[in-house]
Amino acid sequence: MQPHGVPRPPTRSFSLPNGLRVVLAPSRSSPTASVWVWYRVGSKNERPGITGASHWVEHMLFQGSPRYGKGEIDRAVVSVGGELNAFTDADFTAYFTTVPREHLAVPLDIESDRMTRALITDQEVERERTVIHSEREGNENWPEFRVEEELFQLGFRVHPYRWDALGRRRDIEQMSPAELREYYRRFYGTRNAILVIAGGFDPRATAAEVRRRFSPLPASGESVDVKDVEPEPRGERRSELSGPGTTPYLQIGWRSPALADPETPATMLLDALLGGETRMFAAGSVWGRSAEHPSARLYRALVDTGLAVHATSDWRPRAYPGLFTVQAQAARGVSLDRLESAIGAVVARLARYGPTAAEMDDVRTKIRRGVALSYEGASRAGFRLGYFSVLRSMALEDELFRGILRVPAREVRERARALFRDEARVVVRYEPTGEAGRD
Amino acid sequence: MTDANDPMRVEYGAELAGLQVVRQSPPPAAASFSATYVGPAGWGFDPPGREGTARLVNQLIASAAGKYDRVELARRLDRAGATLSHQCSPESAEATIWGPATEWLPLLGILADVVLRPRFDPADVARVRRQVLERQLRELAQPAPRADREMLRAVFPKGHPYRETGLGDRRTVGRLGRSELVRFHREHYTSGGAILVVTAPARLASIERAARRLFGRFERSRAPQPTLPPVAARSATVRSIDLPGRSQVEVRVGGPSVARSDPEYPAAFLANELLGGRPLLSRLFQRIRERGGLAYHASSELEAMRWGGYWMAQAGTGADRWRRVVPMLADEVDRLRRTTVRPAELRVIRESAIGEIPLALESTIEAHDLAVDLAYHHLPADYWARWPGLLRAVGPADVRRAAETAIDRRTAATVVAGPVGQR
Repeated sequence: MQPHGVPRPPTRSFSLPNGLRVVLAPSRSSPTASVWVWYRVGSKNERPGITGASHWVEHMLFQGSPRYGKGEIDRAVVSVGGELNAFTDADFTAYFTTVPREHLAVPLDIESDRMTRALITDQEVERERTVIHSEREGNENWPEFRVEEELFQLGFRVHPYRWDALGRRRDIEQMSPAELREYYRRFYGTRNAILVIAGGFDPRATAAEVRRRFSPLPASGESVDVKDVEPEPRGERRSELSGPGTTPYLQIGWRSPALADPETPATMLLDALLGGETRMFAAGSVWGRSAEHPSARLYRALVDTGLAVHATSDWRPRAYPGLFTVQAQAARGVSLDRLESAIGAVVARLARYGPTAAEMDDVRTKIRRGVALSYEGASRAGFRLGYFSVLRSMALEDELFRGILRVPAREVRERARALFRDEARVVVRYEPTGEAGRD
Repeated sequence: MTDANDPMRVEYGAELAGLQVVRQSPPPAAASFSATYVGPAGWGFDPPGREGTARLVNQLIASAAGKYDRVELARRLDRAGATLSHQCSPESAEATIWGPATEWLPLLGILADVVLRPRFDPADVARVRRQVLERQLRELAQPAPRADREMLRAVFPKGHPYRETGLGDRRTVGRLGRSELVRFHREHYTSGGAILVVTAPARLASIERAARRLFGRFERSRAPQPTLPPVAARSATVRSIDLPGRSQVEVRVGGPSVARSDPEYPAAFLANELLGGRPLLSRLFQRIRERGGLAYHASSELEAMRWGGYWMAQAGTGADRWRRVVPMLADEVDRLRRTTVRPAELRVIRESAIGEIPLALESTIEAHDLAVDLAYHHLPADYWARWPGLLRAVGPADVRRAAETAIDRRTAATVVAGPVGQR
């Protein structure tokens, strides 16, 4: 099944003279059209003092541009039955709008208007400051967010992966509208953007429409490459947090390779073997559906044995070296020492003996079958095409897929040995104070 | 497109010992299939003193079934490129399988195993019990689930299924034994009052044949009847739960509402959409987030079910802002019945609701949800095709009248949960 790559829909790609890359994926029978704009701008392009700027700009791009006053973007899309949203990551920011196919012109008009000409007024920046603050507060209510933020803060000393895309509290309080406008002006432009359109449309007419709307935009967007290089870790780093919550929780991270590293397919297999998630190759959607994975190693070693109520791993491709993480929530009465020791035993065993042939076969089959339906629907197609394009290229999806099918168990074991080193480990533990609230 | 190929219409098929078979065509070009069993197995049927039973059983049926233990069942699904999900509500419990359309028949066989032959292996029972106990703690300690819980408890009387979230407590879940779980499964994962909805590129006759073979073990049974204490009109109440150390306060305002079968439902649906159901255009979102900058989320929902319903307006905001947000939520709820909506505002909301229907037909997963909803509420086979007409028949006066009964703050509960003791 799919011996040569992922079964993607046919696409047509081209670039405009101003540097904007365009990917069209028409599907005659689709009742919808999904428009995605991916910027290679994310929290990696921020600096201390303006952390969270990418996310803040994401909010501001809904607050007004020359042809759309405040609230009019939402109104234009939702009033025709469409949906729209955006999200910010360390490496990119994505804006999407899915509409009934006959309304494709609506998102094209919006995106061409706000790509380089969002207004970002002082008044709207100030009003949005409390909204962003509130978004961060909502996340802070969850111990998992606090732990992950601490883990990356601890795991990186130089590289901008050390802060969360939401930004630091202090920066959200102090960043000025002028700083935000400057950030937008520098990085958001045609050279750093990819426009993906998937769904029901005529490709020739739509290509002409895209040229008409986007060609007049000036070539803009400074380099988004990150020059800071994180030094190799020379010892374990640890942190203990405490606060409200229910059960003890921990995350362990190890320095992991960047996307371009040839070890990436083996790292993805490690993630699937340990946690069970097949990420962008999962059945159902790009990130899969939230599910338990009883056949995964961490689940069997921690949840089945009663040490944890939840245990999994997490690794996503990043443009620069990131963290491979394992997280677990202790079962009642189980100490974090015991949980940490059990996790150590699981990864040590994988590094020593490698995966079994049956495990490798299972994971590969899961991935092969999972991708078969991954392009169903215009929104999913727009997501996948843009996601791989913004990280590198659409061909990346095939490369990773083929790599996963090819990597021998021996290489996965070697990858585990290289990855799960004590001196490259970061540990954050969370002990809840336990109160359940007072009237 | 013929009716049989139109995913907006379903075909009601045979009743197999009381199990209603329903067929839906997948959207054009979709290559996946989905099937859902919904049975009268919600937590409204939890035996007294054994609260939490329905949730445990629902999670356990998807764990291990037939000749497959938990690991083997997971492998079987993975190797088919399929997923199995489960869901429990006050009224019902369901299991859904999704995967390649070419595999619809063997996957339907897995669903039948899950519904009819769960194993309840002792190790699985112990594991699920641990997970439910942890969720109980989380429900009490986290502002959002705690606020939801307390609002329902303030609105519905003791013994009412909608009052609970189905997790039970440490005592009731702690004493549940395997035999009680098996008994609940036998009595509630039945054919009577249950539906089997299949979204597949197969004719109704083929699906009926397959259902008869795979679910043939069902004996004819009658749907169990719930005990529903009356929901008396109460005066408005306010409750605050102090959860120190958290960052955000969750606010809920809610009360009892109409059942899905109520003739006022389309008007109540639009009233809720105006209030906060259509987040970007709705009044709550516009006033609290867009104009006030006071919260990241501000919305409302209307849960119109078989036995009744409830509405809830909600927002998450800072410890220094919640006192400003609560009256805004209340005022917007009151405005629905105090004033008649302008026709232009209603038109935008209504056309938005109608316009989004194609988005529900992007893929099998989304289309299937429409069919399950329709079948569960015994709605006409062409209900979704008629839905735009039903909404267009609703005028401003209808919305105001529906708000009087379906979204009425005079009998509502207000709950704030979070760091409310912090200034």
